[in-house]
Amino acid sequence: MPEVEVGSTRLYYQQAGAGPDVVLVHAVTSNLAVWVFSGLMDALASHYRVTAYDLRGHGMSARPARGYTSAVMAEDFRQLHRALGLKPAYLVGHSFGGVVSMHAAALAPECVAGVVLSDSFFPGLKHIEPNFGKMGLWQEVRQTFARVGVELGETVDFGRLFRETAAMSPEKFQQLEEIYGAFGRGWLRQLPLLASTSCGDDVLAEAGLTADVLRSIQHPVVALYDEFSPFLATANWLQQYLPCCVAEIIPAAKHLAMLDNTAAFTAAVLRHLNRLTGTPGQSHGIAGSA
Amino acid sequence: MLGSDQVLTLLAEVVRETFPDRDFPESVDISTLLFADLGLSSIELVVLGEKLEARWGRRLPFATFLKGLRDRGATDIALGELVVFLQNNPPQLV
Repeated sequence: MPEVEVGSTRLYYQQAGAGPDVVLVHAVTSNLAVWVFSGLMDALASHYRVTAYDLRGHGMSARPARGYTSAVMAEDFRQLHRALGLKPAYLVGHSFGGVVSMHAAALAPECVAGVVLSDSFFPGLKHIEPNFGKMGLWQEVRQTFARVGVELGETVDFGRLFRETAAMSPEKFQQLEEIYGAFGRGWLRQLPLLASTSCGDDVLAEAGLTADVLRSIQHPVVALYDEFSPFLATANWLQQYLPCCVAEIIPAAKHLAMLDNTAAFTAAVLRHLNRLTGTPGQSHGIAGSA
Repeated sequence: MLGSDQVLTLLAEVVRETFPDRDFPESVDISTLLFADLGLSSIELVVLGEKLEARWGRRLPFATFLKGLRDRGATDIALGELVVFLQNNPPQLV
């Protein structure tokens, strides 16, 4: 398996294509398969060298007990970038993956050419985000778990989600597997594995990525936020205060744009990357569409 | 072109080699489901694709295959579908 040793852990990655470097960074509890199944990796590989990797603790990467803040994961990215010999890369980060990407832009600016965010919530912007903790997606997870008698609480609490799944009886877990179906089962099985780590608390920590640090990022940033995102205040703030930020709404999506509206999300990512890198969009046949 | 039985045998070998610690059924056939019967997850399918590329000695459009399944709303993948995919993308080295 393609892996790199970074600091105290080991990261699994996949790479395809040739051209300017693009790195795909998934969300908490996800893994790089989301970029493969959504087709984004394939779509970008026509003109870019695309690297997708599993964050520590996720997918096929190693699962250390500690070190799940965006600061630590930005350092993981820096080391992965060096180990793979990448050029300054365009990072496409979904949700927490976007937080890691922006933290990497702040801490390792020489490794980053630009950032494309997908519906990210920043703990450092909690004060401007009225919908923190009230994500519709969390409510859906909460309702699903309630069907097997497990209460997760009103507001987003990854630590509780991990602990509850770890403590669940095999019968209840199997019921949940049946509810989530074949494609959701992998996601579900990952949750109890994170219960013995600091991931749940770490990912909601500001970890030094304050509003001022975000404002200081000079790289071009594209803020793709979902039409039904709970974080539209964040999108507005980024557009207003970042030195070089373009914002765009992905229609008919509610936090999982690459799956909710694959065509529009893929087209938007391609269009913005082509603009930033000077790659002719016509060759993709979808320039300007979204 | 390799026959479907040959491809199925090779495929079963790669699956067992890729996940040596898993307790797979003794025998599989084209109706065996990757998620429901073999218990694989989406990330494990990505790893399987990488191992198949190594065995086939060539890049495979595995991501296109997986996206196609998702696009048509498939909830699982039968080994038979993977066999047809591999027959359409024959190995350079076996």
